[in-house]
Amino acid sequence: MIVASRKSLDEILGLLGSCKKVLVLGCGGCTSICLAGGQREVRDLCAELDARVRDHGGGLTLHELTIERQCNETFFADADALVKDYEAVLSTACGAGVQFVAERHPALPVLPALNTAFVGFDKGVGWYEENCRTCGDCVLGETGGICPVTRCAKSLFNGPCGGTRSEGTCEVDKTVPCAWFEIHKRLKGQGRLALITKVRPAREWENQTRRSVIQEPYKARYAKP
Amino acid sequence: MSEIQNPPVDRGQIERALARHKDRMKLYLSHCMHCTLCAESCFMYMSRDKDPQYMPSYKVINSVGVLYRKGPGIGRDDLQKMKGIVWRNCVLCTRCYCPVGVDVPAMIAFARGVLRSQGIHPDFDEQGAMESWL
Amino acid sequence: MGALYAFASGPGVYLAFALFLAGLVVQGLRFYKLTRAKDPLALPPPPAGVVPPASPPARGAGAKKPLLDRLLAAAEAMGRPFDRILGTLCRTVAATHPVMTMLTVTFHALLFATPILLLAHNVLLAESAGFHLPSLPDSVADVMTVLFLLCGAAFLYRRVFLRRVRAITTPYDHFVLVVTLLPFFTGFLAYHQIGEYRTMIALHVVSGEAMLVLVPFTRLGHALFFFLYRFLLDGEYSFGQGRRAF
Repeated sequence: MIVASRKSLDEILGLLGSCKKVLVLGCGGCTSICLAGGQREVRDLCAELDARVRDHGGGLTLHELTIERQCNETFFADADALVKDYEAVLSTACGAGVQFVAERHPALPVLPALNTAFVGFDKGVGWYEENCRTCGDCVLGETGGICPVTRCAKSLFNGPCGGTRSEGTCEVDKTVPCAWFEIHKRLKGQGRLALITKVRPAREWENQTRRSVIQEPYKARYAKP
Repeated sequence: MSEIQNPPVDRGQIERALARHKDRMKLYLSHCMHCTLCAESCFMYMSRDKDPQYMPSYKVINSVGVLYRKGPGIGRDDLQKMKGIVWRNCVLCTRCYCPVGVDVPAMIAFARGVLRSQGIHPDFDEQGAMESWL
Repeated sequence: MGALYAFASGPGVYLAFALFLAGLVVQGLRFYKLTRAKDPLALPPPPAGVVPPASPPARGAGAKKPLLDRLLAAAEAMGRPFDRILGTLCRTVAATHPVMTMLTVTFHALLFATPILLLAHNVLLAESAGFHLPSLPDSVADVMTVLFLLCGAAFLYRRVFLRRVRAITTPYDHFVLVVTLLPFFTGFLAYHQIGEYRTMIALHVVSGEAMLVLVPFTRLGHALFFFLYRFLLDGEYSFGQGRRAF
């Protein structure tokens, strides 16, 4: 899941600037599940904004609407119908969602209420940890299901840097386990240690340009002469 | 707090919500042949012992179908029941198959929107985990 | 009964067909009004390399594909149409529900073919309109009718005995099934002179007309909307390119 956290109220107020009529658009997808931008967070955010603005004697009309996803036009009918009545949209979606709304309504300022953090999983309620950098060329099958791109401070592909501490932690931060130490442990436990000797050549890092994915059965549909 | 948690159904609000995509939803409801061929396309149905209540058709009939059958006079208890159907029993992965072409995900999203208009939505924190609908 | 038959077999036929066609047109227009045009090709082209499929970048020394792989790929590229059709079918509902798929395909094919290719209907058509369609021998049509009714019976069996189907079955479902089966059932009985012929043939004509009239505005409307939904709207299972959207 994509994990995000809310920006500070000050930053959000700064983004809103002089806008007086704002549609606060919640997302029922990832940011709802990571407790950052769902319907309840939208309600809380509006209450906070309202209180702050009133304290300063200002006026701000906020309309709350949470739609199921902000990354797919299927779910936009209700939001599209409302948008024209507002000076700005404050979105609690991830960065993709904010851009999707912005692309749909290019005449309107679409503002992010969240900072999109990473792709990760739940450690506990409200606690999330990064696990994937979406590098586009997964090596987890050879690294015991531990991602060296995400978990090694240097994103090394071919074993540890040499800075692994004796207790198996990272030279950059001794509270962080060394990814390659963990990979070694995992592979050894599985009897697949030979995998660790495999040399992985330098990668074509794809995240330098905007990436697209079109699934195989749909390639013909979008192919153009 | 209890007022926020359990206010009466806002008739005007729900009336507007139901009117918004009425034609489309009613077409879909009327063209669902109740054939159950959608069942296997739902991973939740497959992973829950093929319990019929996880069939996509079952979920829309018992959410959108009930919303239009009961109309704005619908009770809050009905909506609470629906919350489990459209959020717990469906993750809106949008992969349902329908031989006729009924857009089940659109219907589930619609039902969720109607519930949201009444302040009914899932919480993914401890409070949510303790709620009876889960 | 005489008066009813006179009406049903005279102006009733025209009325039924008029209502049927008008209903379909109205529903079709309604669909067009509810939806908007969408041009899937109006999207900006995907970046180079995404389409057509780019082969994954070779990694390390000896990344060349083994000979066997290349031979297999070549065989695949030459096209094995039967395999491809089979492969496609295996990913559809035909694989998850082979029996139901056969039942429903047979049912729908016979639903159209039997009445249109029935000799008696074409005789009537020739007498009133001066033209007729090709006809099947009565014995063949008879078998088709029985098969159709058996498919209907199988549907009824599902509705009554399969837990999952029962879970969402309503009286309306049974009504729709009866509406569809009745013209075939009464036609079969009338042809075989079972029961009182005049009553049976009157019931046959009336139930047939009732079915036609009911198609556009009831659940039977899927006859039209199947094509609208699955060929015009976009989606994972769409046969079309998504030229319209709600």
